Amino acid sequence: MPNAKRRRLSRVTATVVAVTLGGTALAACGSSDEDSEAQSGPVSLTYWTWTPGMDKVVDLWNKGPGKKDQITVTVKKQASGDTLVTKILTAHKAGKAPDLVQAEYQALPTLVSNDALADIAKNVGDAKSKFADGVWQQTTLGTDAVYAVPQDIGPMMFYYREDLFKKYGLTVPATWEQFAQTARALKKKAPDLDLTTFSANDSGLFAGLAQQAGAKWWTTSGDKWQVGINDAATKKVAEFWGGLVKEGAIDNQPMYTPAWNKALNTGKQIAWVSAVWAPGTLTTAAPDTEGKWAMAPLPQWSQSDNVTGSWGGSSTAVTTDSKHKEAAAKFAAWLNTDGDALNALAKEGGIYPASSSAQLSGAFTAPPAFFSNQPDFYNEAADIAKTTAPSAWGPNVNVAYTTFKDAFGAAAKNKSDFTVALDEMQADTVADMKKQGFEVSE
Amino acid sequence: MKTAARRKSYGVKGAPYALPSPTTTLKRARSAPYFFLVPATILFALFFALPIGYAVWLSFHKVKVSGLGLGAGARKEVWAGLENYTAAITDSELLDSALRVLGYGCIVVPVMLGLALLFALMLDAEKVRLAPFARLAIFLPYAIPGVVAALLWGFLYLPDVSPFYFVLDKLGLPQPDLLDGGPLYLALSNIAIWGGTGFNMIVIYTSLQAIPAEVYEAAKLDGATPLQIALKIKIPMVAPSLVLTFFFSIIATLQVFSEPTTLKPLTNSVSTTWSPLMKVYRDAFGTGDIYAAAAQAVIIAFVTLLLSFGFLRATNRRNKQEAAG
Amino acid sequence: MSSLAVQKVPSAAGATGAAQNRPPLRSRIALVPTITLLLGAVYCLLPVAWVVIASTKSGRELFSTFTFLPGTGFADNISDLNAYRDGVYWKWMSNSAFYAGLGALLSTCVSAFSGYALATYRFRGRETIFNVLLAGVLMPPIILAVPQYLLLAKADLTDSYWSVLLPQVLSPYGVYLSRIYAAAAVPGDVVEAGRMDGASEWRIFTRIALPMMVPGLVTVFLFQFVAVWNNFLLPYIMLSDDEKFPITLGLHTLLEQGANTPALYTLVITGAFLAVIPLVALFLVIQRFWSLDLLSGAVKS
Repeated sequence: MPNAKRRRLSRVTATVVAVTLGGTALAACGSSDEDSEAQSGPVSLTYWTWTPGMDKVVDLWNKGPGKKDQITVTVKKQASGDTLVTKILTAHKAGKAPDLVQAEYQALPTLVSNDALADIAKNVGDAKSKFADGVWQQTTLGTDAVYAVPQDIGPMMFYYREDLFKKYGLTVPATWEQFAQTARALKKKAPDLDLTTFSANDSGLFAGLAQQAGAKWWTTSGDKWQVGINDAATKKVAEFWGGLVKEGAIDNQPMYTPAWNKALNTGKQIAWVSAVWAPGTLTTAAPDTEGKWAMAPLPQWSQSDNVTGSWGGSSTAVTTDSKHKEAAAKFAAWLNTDGDALNALAKEGGIYPASSSAQLSGAFTAPPAFFSNQPDFYNEAADIAKTTAPSAWGPNVNVAYTTFKDAFGAAAKNKSDFTVALDEMQADTVADMKKQGFEVSE
Repeated sequence: MKTAARRKSYGVKGAPYALPSPTTTLKRARSAPYFFLVPATILFALFFALPIGYAVWLSFHKVKVSGLGLGAGARKEVWAGLENYTAAITDSELLDSALRVLGYGCIVVPVMLGLALLFALMLDAEKVRLAPFARLAIFLPYAIPGVVAALLWGFLYLPDVSPFYFVLDKLGLPQPDLLDGGPLYLALSNIAIWGGTGFNMIVIYTSLQAIPAEVYEAAKLDGATPLQIALKIKIPMVAPSLVLTFFFSIIATLQVFSEPTTLKPLTNSVSTTWSPLMKVYRDAFGTGDIYAAAAQAVIIAFVTLLLSFGFLRATNRRNKQEAAG
Repeated sequence: MSSLAVQKVPSAAGATGAAQNRPPLRSRIALVPTITLLLGAVYCLLPVAWVVIASTKSGRELFSTFTFLPGTGFADNISDLNAYRDGVYWKWMSNSAFYAGLGALLSTCVSAFSGYALATYRFRGRETIFNVLLAGVLMPPIILAVPQYLLLAKADLTDSYWSVLLPQVLSPYGVYLSRIYAAAAVPGDVVEAGRMDGASEWRIFTRIALPMMVPGLVTVFLFQFVAVWNNFLLPYIMLSDDEKFPITLGLHTLLEQGANTPALYTLVITGAFLAVIPLVALFLVIQRFWSLDLLSGAVKS
């Protein structure tokens, strides 16, 4: 052990000398393309994931199918968040990315555009058939390639305090127009309370709402990207929320703060536009309100619509740095399509599976404990998941998301025009793409 | 005997750190300092100079994507010349953030160092009680890990959960919004002062400890009050430490990052580019443009160089003049 | 915040101090310094007290009870933290102790060498070397993390203990501090006397200078220990194996578990609270070395 350490240390010195001599050679390190594919013999893979309990799910693989195929997977638990993409890309730059990574759908184009993700179309078998088209399409980026296998999804829903809605004589809004009226009605009856808040600290929520309205933020035609962040559909959404904030019908403070938790817990805010994973968040944020909430489909833009957006959700991808892409793809497919694996993922990791058949399987027959008053919670959730609108992600979602936080944060604070903030988002995103050299047509 | 001889000899030095050079310098003593500096030099070359060099290299490059930018080989690193620099200099976000930080620094540096000096002198005072407790208490904030900071300050600053608002409410006093406008600067400064005072206090206090008691004896016999001793003897003698704390406080202010980042999730008033370094972080880790981030970092480093080393030079010159005159 | 402190403490101290036997007390206790320090202590401890109090709250109590009201969940929080992924928290704790302990020790040695050389010798390039070492702090660490990663990746050292340890050994702050302390504490004539006696430069340093520098060096050690202990970005970039994570990074993974899983606030707060205890212990040990007199055996008159 000490010997090994000393050897490594002397290696640093040696390398440093080499690097110094090479001057900027450091920068030139890219990923090697050589592929020592499909060798026989045992294979061991590393997997960066933030899903809790993933090590237990992976144990099932290592003791079952993995043992048979001599493929061992090791979990390296990470923190989720936007910076993880940077961490993966930094590791990739050094050729040291793990074999498998967990990635949110909107991060896939960024990763692909950095050549960090391998095309595993040939290795995932008939996985496609297990997922709704809208979900699967996110992992192909509209090409013939497959860059990831969907793991979990976050179809959006409307959560409200059943008891307080009754108390204040409110009805569950079926359309956004009714949603606005509900907010106003509540303000009239109880000026201290808010129906909900418009939070500028989570771009995913706004993206999901725009998606529901039919927005297509990034599309391609030929060799060109089209960016439509300020398209008519998104404008409608921005105007709607901006109007509610401006007239004071809803709050404008960010979510996930101690004050927000308290507002939910004490019934100062009585509804939350969220996604299928909301029960978990409510359990910690508002523990005193157990059994008092109910879930309904998201309000619609017109009475006849039946569509929702998604907020959250992630996939399992194989990196180009992996020496064993085929084995890694095999594991990724197993993890997200095998019944036992998905059951364990639901139980240990609390995920809502992307695989359609798993959405009604064993783990989802009973409602979440926090919603014991709504026995058919997961049946409804599965029905809502089917109505998810397709999403359209581009290679610099992170730029759009960051501008969202700043522009909409300022607009929410000043109660000013949200569409101005939206235009800013569009302009920043397009400018960044042009700067990078993407072909863009607005 | 030996101790006494040693003690008498120090404390009377004009220059901030330079000792009078040994009059009988031996030959071996000429090479000795270089040997002592070998470890630091190697580590500096490896973990500072090389990475800095690479960051500078990055600042002159950019990424060039072709077509849709998907798949292998679609992304290349190309020479950018001064592009990143001109973009950074003309970026109003960067300038705005610099101005904000200037305002913030005008509160933090004087208050924090003033308190640190005050506390250090009080710790060093005679017949002071509970000094070990206070020393630990004032230092402790520095030891609180940043991971809980957002929660911690959320609980103390957000009106709905803050005990201070609760008290103000009960007393019927006005409840200002701490996380907006001018008070936001106070809220941020408070975090920095809370976290940094103890650190600087310890630096000054340790220097005070090095002053031998004999130095005060004469002054005391002449009937000097503790205040006079503090102002006339103690403060001049810890001047090198004060210079050091000033130097690093200027740098810490220009590179302020954690305080506004802590408050960011709690309020719409703190943007992702509130301070220059937040913008660097956003570009490097948020939007993935490490080239622009590197150029901004070089500019920040340059401004820091001007201000902090300018300050060091100015104090050195003054010291030399004083020593000469 | 401070207004509260202002009201509370003087009256408390005044009640015991000022009311009854004023003259003898004043001669025994310096009131102004004591009260000033107590005010400072209260100001600094209030937010720390929040961490302590919040660590006693159960998840149910955290967001619902009054902020400064203690809860009933301390034992549960500890056992939950202990149970989390088979006690990985303690692994993080020992990792942090290792990074910070060894890192600060090496850093103090390097600082002592450099500070001593810069303070006691006159040699060509002294100020240049000093200024260059200092200039290391000009470039924000944020921008250096990625280059440092790429560099260590070349040496195949990423995701190792070395990758977190090595970049933190040289501390410009420590070098500067050591220089000041050496200049103040090591008299030139003592060094010179050592030379006259024929002692080697190394021997003069270890036998004569080093003991004199101890009070300053423990400060360097303390600062570097806490700096490494609390560092986040470097280990974040360098490490992918959570068995090697320090506490800051480990607790961060408890906060950021993805949209499906809410943050484990109570575990993070309890974990942060427990992480402060070793630092307090370290401080208590170290403060005994701040007084030169203690070491030289003399008594400050």
